[in-house]
Amino acid sequence: MSILTAENVSFSYDKKTDALSGVSFSVEKGEYVSIIGHNGSGKSTLARLFNGLIKPDKGEITVCGYSSLDKKNLFEIRKRIGVVFQNPDNQLVASIVEDDVAFGPENLGIPRKEIGERIEFALKAVGMENYRFSSPSRLSGGQKQRIAIAGVLALKPQIIVLDESTSMLDPKGRKEITGIVRKLNEEEKTTVISVTHFMEETVFADKIIVLNDGKVFMQGTPSEIFSQRETLKKIGLEVPYSTFLAEKLKEKGVPNKGEILTPEALAEAICELK
Amino acid sequence: MRIEIDNLSYSYSAGQKGLEVKALKNVSLTIEEGDFYGIIGHTGSGKSTLIQHINGLIKIGKNSGSIRVGEFDLTDKKCDFNKLRSLVGMVFQYPEYQLFSETVFLDVAFGLKNFFPDLKEEEIEERVKTAIELVGLDYEKVKNKSPFELSGGQKRRVAIAGTIVSKPEILVLDEPAAGLDPIGKRDFLKLLKNLHKGFVKTIVIVSHDMDLVAEHCNRACVMNHGEVFAEGAPKDIFSRKNELLELGLDLPLTAYITDKLKENGIEAPNDFTEEDFIRAITKWYEGEKR
Repeated sequence: MSILTAENVSFSYDKKTDALSGVSFSVEKGEYVSIIGHNGSGKSTLARLFNGLIKPDKGEITVCGYSSLDKKNLFEIRKRIGVVFQNPDNQLVASIVEDDVAFGPENLGIPRKEIGERIEFALKAVGMENYRFSSPSRLSGGQKQRIAIAGVLALKPQIIVLDESTSMLDPKGRKEITGIVRKLNEEEKTTVISVTHFMEETVFADKIIVLNDGKVFMQGTPSEIFSQRETLKKIGLEVPYSTFLAEKLKEKGVPNKGEILTPEALAEAICELK
Repeated sequence: MRIEIDNLSYSYSAGQKGLEVKALKNVSLTIEEGDFYGIIGHTGSGKSTLIQHINGLIKIGKNSGSIRVGEFDLTDKKCDFNKLRSLVGMVFQYPEYQLFSETVFLDVAFGLKNFFPDLKEEEIEERVKTAIELVGLDYEKVKNKSPFELSGGQKRRVAIAGTIVSKPEILVLDEPAAGLDPIGKRDFLKLLKNLHKGFVKTIVIVSHDMDLVAEHCNRACVMNHGEVFAEGAPKDIFSRKNELLELGLDLPLTAYITDKLKENGIEAPNDFTEEDFIRAITKWYEGEKR
């Protein structure tokens, strides 16, 4: 059984234009899924539908077998799915890091002793164990975002949703967050759904879902998606810069075989020509 | 107008024991008229503090250095900051959040009316129209719309229009491309390039995006812990790979690959712009084939 499914989901904010229409896909347990699309394509709406912040007008979202249409299920859904939003300042609530991380588990009614363990685990996972008693307001953007992720991890969710969680960070912070999430995916088998503008962050995904004007435009592996540069361009997206340069080189008669998705792959492909 | 920053220092919470943070330490920089200048550095390196000095949003303290922008001496008590700010346009991060008026027209006109209270209605309209068209929006279509009806990319354009409407000679932008989707980013840079060609003499951008700096800037500086770590052409800055990595900064993709190739005995020197990178690799390959 899929861990999350969207079945023919439609949603409108103003009851006039659809933010999403007829969206269907499924995410398997342990998968790393990236969702891409231009500004206004419906990506963030989808992230809000996942944990029941909003409900589909038509169709159904199911998380671990629980439909978000039934209000009684929302508590069960939110235990299983954690969302990290774009701006950590909107997500941090307490004045001490450990209180912030404890906020979620406390709401779930988890025993005090276990909460302590979870705080430790979560802060360690994001490399912030030394900041347990710090004030979030004194941390950098990247550190704050790590605390926000720790707050989600403390719920021990089966699915983590990142809604452009790295877009306000500098390259270093972005790499850190992506690294932490990939590690969780690989080692803890946490299912990850990452909504992003950075094509470079999607090349490691098991699957990419491309949204356009509120509809699923295509889905597939990174190499399947990024071999279609012209198609992507039409809907306001680009291939990763490495892929783009590889194609430009090919046009100029410099061959490179296979799908180039990363800088490493491009450097290697050129070295092979020596 | 040339920007000359000489020996500038600045501390937040100056004089408060234990809270003082030295954000700038003896910064000296010259940005020439006509530059497309990049300021890079990781979070907390002093980039934003620096640019807020350029139009006097942060006042220079006693014995903390000086700044000249064209004829304006910013340490001078008689400096006309109002006029300076009309000539040095500032666009902050996520400028779309600073729109507030009922219509796009009023929003764009707001700064202009403040800078030039004596302008006639017709002239205001003419200048607002020009500014909106310069940022690539259809004046008739958007002028009476609420800014909140527009998309993120359009809002950002409106915010820029509200800055260039006062005809600044220098435009300073903090992370101009952050949060835009790839094509939005490309279009936006095209817009900046166009403005730079005709309307604005100097553009200064603060960015984390090394690819962007390598591709578009003719000069750049690297800030680190409030100091200027390096200054010069992007080509030269990005050749200092190890030092940049130590500072926690990235290389542009083109510089990374050029460096990897060098490690493997392939020499393909280039200036790290897309065009020159492709040229250098193609040239190397053609030599290799022979």
